[in-house]
Amino acid sequence: VRRAQPLGWLPRTVLVLCVLGFADSGYQVYTHFSGTGLLGCSTSTDPCVLDQNSIYAWVFGIPVAVYGLAFFAFMIVICSPWAWRSRLRVIRQARTAAVVTGMIFVLYLIYREVISLGRICPYCTSVHVITVLLFGLLMYDVAGSGLPRPVTAGEASHGN
Amino acid sequence: MGNAARTKARARTAGQARSARQKIAESRAADRRAGVRRRLLLAGGSVAVVLALVATLIAVKLGQSPPRSAPPAGAHTAAQVQQQVTSVPAATFNAVGSGNAAGLSTITGQPALTIDGKPEVLYIGGEFCPYCAAERWAIAAAVSRFGALSGLSLIHSAPSDSYANTPTLSFAQASYTSKYLAFVPVEWFGEAADPSNPFGHVYLQHPTAQEQALFARYGSQAIPFLDIGNRYILPEVQYIPSSLAGLSWTQIATAMHDPSSPVAKDIDGAANIITAAICTLTHGQPAGVCHSAGVQAAAGSL
Repeated sequence: VRRAQPLGWLPRTVLVLCVLGFADSGYQVYTHFSGTGLLGCSTSTDPCVLDQNSIYAWVFGIPVAVYGLAFFAFMIVICSPWAWRSRLRVIRQARTAAVVTGMIFVLYLIYREVISLGRICPYCTSVHVITVLLFGLLMYDVAGSGLPRPVTAGEASHGN
Repeated sequence: MGNAARTKARARTAGQARSARQKIAESRAADRRAGVRRRLLLAGGSVAVVLALVATLIAVKLGQSPPRSAPPAGAHTAAQVQQQVTSVPAATFNAVGSGNAAGLSTITGQPALTIDGKPEVLYIGGEFCPYCAAERWAIAAAVSRFGALSGLSLIHSAPSDSYANTPTLSFAQASYTSKYLAFVPVEWFGEAADPSNPFGHVYLQHPTAQEQALFARYGSQAIPFLDIGNRYILPEVQYIPSSLAGLSWTQIATAMHDPSSPVAKDIDGAANIITAAICTLTHGQPAGVCHSAGVQAAAGSL
């Protein structure tokens, strides 16, 4: 029985970011459907409530927060320790495709917030920042996918 | 070969092997360094492109000229616009149907909202609010089909908000009479800024405790709030105010009579949907309105 290799800093950081994004999106979905309002936005409702209730808060009839929740749920699965250890190429490809799609969607939402509405919602922005960080980290991972692995101490001793 | 010579030869071989391993290690280290540089370049470059796009959006927004305050309307214009808004022909409504407007949400299991036995339509909004600005046109057109709406004044939404200076009507001084319906408009906030208030604008009219309770329960803390007899509410705006940008009140009121105009497709479509919702509470009365083709078509959007 082989002991699973410990994950490096990158997979661990990515997973933490995915969980944070999932929690943030989940909270926004909850407040959207429960009508309770986002914490801290109930008295000064300009940016958060106008963003959440604007015509752009729905895409194909589905609240954008739901897309965010689905995205991070998928990312948690595809960035789980099991997925990182898997040798299936398709998993890496799916991870890259998902984060690029997420990044494009975030750019669309930023466009709507900045240009169409002129309102920046801090909760949405935190999700956007998480997505940009995920995008950067996974691009770093993709760029290293063709490189030779560093030689470990065990491999070096076998070579002697 | 003597011992000394053998030792020397072994040492030389060992030195050569060490040197070869060192070269391989150096070469691998150089590869790794190049690899890290490549990874940083790609990852950093990708993020830089994203940040550059965001910065461009912000620069475009900041570069847009600040909207100017719009001039106030004269009394004659107000009367003319009110007359046009409250008398859109049935043929126009029928031609538009639900137009480009979005539907309403349904509430179930709640006591009916009534005044003196008549179903109540409660509107809560603010004069600064651009989405209220859009919705008021449709509400005014819809309730006018059940009674007489008067006392409308002409205002613009706040110049500092999104969809700045959207031309609209104010219900602050409005009165309404109808044998079918009670219409209760509350302009909660004015246009002047007051950061200490919710929504950041001064209070204009105060909703009653019951109205505030309905707003808290169904309003998602957002205006415009429209409660049609505790059976239908406005989940969001029915249309975005962009179709009203750059138009005068008179141009909007005139366009509401032209079923082919984008304004009519937004406002009259939204009005037909509101009318269809009200008709479910008035038991289809008045029949001429509730059984019209436009209202029947819009009922599908409820």
